[in-house]
Amino acid sequence: MIDVYFEDLPEGHVIELGEKLVTRDEIVAFATEFDPQPHHLDDEAANASILKGLSASGWHTCAMMMRMIVDGLAHRAAAMGSPGMDEVRWMKPVRPGDVLKMTGIVKFARISKSKPDMGIIDIEWSLFNSHEQVAMMRGIGLYGVRNPQAA
Amino acid sequence: MYFEDVELGVTTQLGSYTFTEPEMIRFSRAYDPQPFHVDPGSAKASFYGGIIASGWHVASVWMKLVIANQQKRAASGEARKGGGVSPGFLNLRWIKPTRPGMTLTYDTTTHEKIELKSRADLGLVRTLNLAVDADGETVMSFTGQGFWPRRPRD
Repeated sequence: MIDVYFEDLPEGHVIELGEKLVTRDEIVAFATEFDPQPHHLDDEAANASILKGLSASGWHTCAMMMRMIVDGLAHRAAAMGSPGMDEVRWMKPVRPGDVLKMTGIVKFARISKSKPDMGIIDIEWSLFNSHEQVAMMRGIGLYGVRNPQAA
Repeated sequence: MYFEDVELGVTTQLGSYTFTEPEMIRFSRAYDPQPFHVDPGSAKASFYGGIIASGWHVASVWMKLVIANQQKRAASGEARKGGGVSPGFLNLRWIKPTRPGMTLTYDTTTHEKIELKSRADLGLVRTLNLAVDADGETVMSFTGQGFWPRRPRD
């Protein structure tokens, strides 16, 4: 059921998402297909690398963040995709066994000038493992307006 | 090859990739299960008028082609380029939807070199990256960032 619209995500609104367990199998499967570098595939090579242990591809981290956004927000929102992300920071390695949580804060929200039934919402997402922030993603989500006449 | 050896304005062709509907749906079921990415019926009725690839799938294929390119160069005895570690990226734009059967051609161009005050042994290289469709229109662009080792001083 769709019950989250543009009007429900005003500037300053905070969204809490999670939890997501990161598995070794998932890290290796994603990296095998999209980012087959030794430090994402093999413990021995990963231990010798500057990341000091097996870690997820940064693109895998983005994909996991997207999945958390869909599960926690977009699946029940009038979500219409995204034109892009202004910034993504990979701050710390994402490891097998990490339990991830994410917090989003709405930085700005406005109605599209060309499509008055669509809202443009800029959200800064912070991804955490159990003890520190590991990634940041800031960008636009497009959300349907519940009541375009009133907005 | 060191940070000091990176020339700006050099474009590397990364190759092409064709997105098939089953593959698009498989990626999106795992990472981006929104109706317009996974369900042809509701995708048809959506804003997009049909199934489109997750933007993260389009971006992840860029990474796949970068690594394939590095492996090809390494196999032909060329020195490896780039450090393999990135602090993240900037200005990712999904400009046009990627639909089933579309072939995208990717390239990367060295754009900016930044010396790091905090790390005398590393430099940051920024690249402009494009995925272009068969009509030559840009589908995705972003600014990539990679750390490169500095040439040791004797």
